[in-house]
Amino acid sequence: MSPFDPRGKANRALLVGVSEYDVRKPTPHGVPGDLPAVRHNLDRLKEVLPGGRVFGAHEVTVVRSPYQHDFQRALRTAAEEAEGLLLVYFAGHGAVPSAANELFLQMRGAEVYRGRQDSVFPGAEMFTTVLTMLHASRAERIVVVLDCCYAGNAAFIWEQFPDRRRVLLLMSVQANNRIDAGDDGTPTPFTKELAELLASEGELTFGGLSERLRDRMRAAGLRTVRGEEWEPLSRTEPQEDVLLSAPPKRVVAPPDTGSLDGRSGPHREESERPPGGRTRGRSPRLPRRFLRALGAWFGGLRVVSRIALVLLALATLGLGSYGLSALRTDGSSCAPPLELRVLTDPDLEPTVTAAADAYLTSGDNTDGDGCRRTGITVYSAGAADAVNALRRQTEVWKEPHDEDTNPQRDIGPQPDVWIPASPADVARVTAGQDTDNVARLEAAEQPLAYSPVVLAVPDDIAVEPLGERTGQPLAVLLKQLKARAEQSQVRRPDPEFADAALLATLGLYGTGTDPARAERQVAQAGPPSRTAADLLCALPDDTGVDSRTAALVPEFLLRTGVGCDRTTRAPRTAEYPDDVPGVEATFVRVRWDDADRDGGERDRAAARFHAWLSGDGGRAVFARDGFRSASHGRELLDARDVAHGVLRDPSPLTEAAGRQAMESALKRYRRANGPGRVLYLLDDSGSMSGLWDGPSGGPGLLKQSLGGLGGADEYGVWGVSGTGGKRPYEELLGFGPHSRKEAERAVDAATVRDAEADPHAALLAALDDMRGRGLDDDRPQLVVYITDDEDDTRLTDGNLDDVLARARSAKVPVTMVSLVSGGCDRGKPDARISDASGGRCLDADDDLGAGLTDEVARTGMGED
Amino acid sequence: MGVRRLLAGLGCLLLVAACTGGGGSRSGPAVEVPGEIVVASGRDVTGKNGIREQLIDAWNRQQDKANTGYHARLVELPGSADEQRSQLLGALQSGSASYDVVNLDVTWVPEFAAARLVRALPASMIGGDVIKSVASTASWGGKVYAVPFNSDVGLLYYRRDWLARAGVQQTDLSRSPLTWSQLDALMSDVNDLDPKGYEKAWTTQLAGYEGRTVNAVEAFASAVDDFSLTGSDGHYDATVDELAQGVAELRRRTEGAYLLPDAVHSDEAASMGDFAAGRTAFLRHWPYAYRTLFQTFGEQQLGVAPLPGRAVLGGQNLAVTESSPRARKAAELIAYLTGKQSERCLLDAGFAATRTSAYRDDGLRCTTGTSSAPSASPTGERADSMPRDAAGRPKYARPILLPALRDAVQRPRTPLYGAFTQTFTAQLGALFGDSPPEDEKLAADLDTALRKALPD
Repeated sequence: MSPFDPRGKANRALLVGVSEYDVRKPTPHGVPGDLPAVRHNLDRLKEVLPGGRVFGAHEVTVVRSPYQHDFQRALRTAAEEAEGLLLVYFAGHGAVPSAANELFLQMRGAEVYRGRQDSVFPGAEMFTTVLTMLHASRAERIVVVLDCCYAGNAAFIWEQFPDRRRVLLLMSVQANNRIDAGDDGTPTPFTKELAELLASEGELTFGGLSERLRDRMRAAGLRTVRGEEWEPLSRTEPQEDVLLSAPPKRVVAPPDTGSLDGRSGPHREESERPPGGRTRGRSPRLPRRFLRALGAWFGGLRVVSRIALVLLALATLGLGSYGLSALRTDGSSCAPPLELRVLTDPDLEPTVTAAADAYLTSGDNTDGDGCRRTGITVYSAGAADAVNALRRQTEVWKEPHDEDTNPQRDIGPQPDVWIPASPADVARVTAGQDTDNVARLEAAEQPLAYSPVVLAVPDDIAVEPLGERTGQPLAVLLKQLKARAEQSQVRRPDPEFADAALLATLGLYGTGTDPARAERQVAQAGPPSRTAADLLCALPDDTGVDSRTAALVPEFLLRTGVGCDRTTRAPRTAEYPDDVPGVEATFVRVRWDDADRDGGERDRAAARFHAWLSGDGGRAVFARDGFRSASHGRELLDARDVAHGVLRDPSPLTEAAGRQAMESALKRYRRANGPGRVLYLLDDSGSMSGLWDGPSGGPGLLKQSLGGLGGADEYGVWGVSGTGGKRPYEELLGFGPHSRKEAERAVDAATVRDAEADPHAALLAALDDMRGRGLDDDRPQLVVYITDDEDDTRLTDGNLDDVLARARSAKVPVTMVSLVSGGCDRGKPDARISDASGGRCLDADDDLGAGLTDEVARTGMGED
Repeated sequence: MGVRRLLAGLGCLLLVAACTGGGGSRSGPAVEVPGEIVVASGRDVTGKNGIREQLIDAWNRQQDKANTGYHARLVELPGSADEQRSQLLGALQSGSASYDVVNLDVTWVPEFAAARLVRALPASMIGGDVIKSVASTASWGGKVYAVPFNSDVGLLYYRRDWLARAGVQQTDLSRSPLTWSQLDALMSDVNDLDPKGYEKAWTTQLAGYEGRTVNAVEAFASAVDDFSLTGSDGHYDATVDELAQGVAELRRRTEGAYLLPDAVHSDEAASMGDFAAGRTAFLRHWPYAYRTLFQTFGEQQLGVAPLPGRAVLGGQNLAVTESSPRARKAAELIAYLTGKQSERCLLDAGFAATRTSAYRDDGLRCTTGTSSAPSASPTGERADSMPRDAAGRPKYARPILLPALRDAVQRPRTPLYGAFTQTFTAQLGALFGDSPPEDEKLAADLDTALRKALPD
């Protein structure tokens, strides 16, 4: 009978190797140790299998050191996908109980508990389970290969398995024997022979392979741990055989044994021999007391440190990149790649995005089948928020429990990689991290790129002599600028939002300067720009402002921050303060607890991306965007094409920012003008019933923003409804300092009223109230009006003009929060009111929760 | 009540769901332990009163009443679709967060199914009531992996008042199917009228993001019959000739004569703002614009009609994660959230419902939640300003939205959709640059790039 020929069918090979174990001796309940040799087993088999032309490269799935759940998932997938031949290979520790016929395949999380009667093996898969799961497959034939201690004990289980007809079983060693895994640097002895045979010329069937393996092992003279002659086993039903390899002939020669259909190979004869004849009889069933629980590939603890080194080397070099999850159920040839979530600083986002885009389509991210190995999404979040979330909110980031604090929504995805603009951010996180944090950071030692923070002065009022552009503190540069051009101004973006602005703040406060005084130097009407690029593009909105305003921005923007939509900004010259640390983009791997479902694959994907970013590919992107080298010389990465206003060598450039310096600058910035005052106006008229519930409803948004206010800040909430002769608002929370809980309770108690709102009257009352509170101090103030704009009919013509006039004179910024799309479109009342007051307008097209929280946080001091 | 019947029948359906690993498997899950079911969904940025959360609350009340021990909890993800996808993929691949039910954009279903991050569900979870085109977004490789929750489709919004002033007799453009040449003629009429503040005839979303892909697919599918860039298995199978025809149609639609120049930098919000501000007479947009635009315009000013040519289908589908320990109950929750009653609630709140009954069955009313029905308070202040039909649905739902959904086309279906759309958007950017290449050249470049992004 011809062996089963699977060629041309949907075949699958699942190669599972457990080389790394979480719990090893001498830890109680540990397995004997890691098995570095198994790693080579997988490499070698993955290499040789496709050459046999039975399995396409895309039909081979490699799963490295999986946990039991992942093993089951991979097994289920392979079983579902295979229609012709399904090959399942396992290498790792194996264990057997003393009181039952079972073989336990020990996965990464395996432990061993010895009881009085018997032992149990959590984290291991029973061979019975494997066979049962395989039974569900449509595959016409299933070949199982086990290379582990006690592999031969699987034969008993196979013999008792009802549906064994389709299953052909190959075991590395006879029953009840442990074996040595051999040298760490090579495959295990059995798999070494197996791979060599699979790689050899000529067709190879299961029967032929089993026979030749036995011969080779015998010839090698190897012994099991208990001193028996090492003897691989196989089991098949009579007459069953499968073609496993049929490589194309390398030389033109007649086939060893001819056959009419050209399918059966040279080992056809062997395949027709009954299996009993080839296995030389079953091993005698030993008394159960001999079956001990010691799963013991030898190799032991001495390999642990070596394996750690190997892993480290792989991570550093970005190697070791076999896909874990090549799980395909369809005809497309590429599996969806592993997704890396990359969080970065808002100023760096355009460059990191460009780098990721280039990496995605690069050869480094493409496997042999032309498939992408990794997918990447780059996003940014406010720098202070990101630091705070990694420091104090990892638990709720992983598992958000309430609507008010949800970093998944407000910061973004849980990053696998974080690229802040300063290595000090990493120290800020780790130094203040809560004990219950569930994300661990590992920062690369060398930053990816560097860019100094400069004072970008319009050319017309810039200093001429080269020498005066460098080597001086920021305070001196500012003083000189004022002396040259009295009308000149200075702007800095929001220090909470991006690191470059916070670094500039370090210089601004200098040594001993009163933060309030320093802040007056960069004060502006309206909220500060969020990023440095936004600032440079906002300045030309008023040409008079643009030509006399210097900006504190990272140097690279003199190259990239030139083209603003619809405007041309004044050309600027960089002055290099010697007391402002520069931007240093730093690669940080973020590992989340329990996020090990894809094993080491995520680490390797991150390491590959890091290697690319640090290498020529990443350097080209940073060079194009005007960055400098992060190494000692700090030279421009593109030294040939130096942007206008940039000095080629502005040395001395300053050292990296310190953790404490940044923390302290942020704290002083928040306290510069003392605690804040916020008056919330919450529209509770009838039309709000449709926008009341849930985290995106009016009360939900208000509550989220309370996080920006601390015990020293004062605030109150008005419910806005009531027209005609009635008071236009109801006090829901009296003005003063509050605990967050107390404030949330008051907001929760609010309900929609059966009334219309009069925004005109309410806003006038709020502006008057706040103006009165701020008469005697410079504390930051804010009015927030949350509304659905339904009653904007009361904000027309004269009424609107009243509010606009009062908004201008009261000098209290008003943040209008419109719960409808387009509420802040040009000319809409909300846009005009916030504009006149110097506040921000947010509508449903924005991220309302994050936007409002930012506005409130900038006003309040928050909690320390 | 329909929902109760559905739930009663669900027990047996879900037994099937547990056995999708193959007939006769003995490795089905053990008995589920009651507990929390986490639903991950993108932040609802379009102001629909948290209707999704209200539906979940209603389900929780049922569970409490029956004392089942189950409780569903909504975890909101960022508003950005890219970030939602990234978090869902990253979290389900690695286990960094636990979700039982995920709300997937229709274009992500093949990817999540192929990566085995979501489970196959019984095909019977999608009944004949679900609009056929919408139902087809839920399957991959012949299996159902998700259930349509809310749909979406491209629509044409326009200024009726300006058409009337320009002398157009029939200003209701939804009466009979409109062609692009008829639309061209109408644009020309408004151009001649040149109302105050008006700049160009129409605007849409052509910035370098998903909006450009959507608009391009609409043009391509209008130019080539039965156009699809990928086969049912996700393989790229377009020809350069087909691409060239598509590019030519997209170029025709976006040439300078009628298109607002800002459209090439516009997303949904920007294009809606320009139309609302009166800079254009026509706008291509999604159903949620209906609610928003009627806050600015009255019925005499604003009209809505199916898009000329083909329109792209959007929307989101609910799926059970592979890692969920409560998969049976999670599927039951999905059945509730996508049932007839819930779909009617979603329609009333401004979503495009996925079931025909929501549009047609006048006896079906939303009784869930507090405020999705168009009730008016005694003071006459309405919960929204959408025109409604006699049964309380948005007025355009049955005559315009439902037919538009039925005729809509899908974007390419492939597990590598992320790579596809990134490539498609980037390549077509050349059309809106300073020196656009010829149709054939652009088509050839597009073909090469797509072959690389979607390798055989």
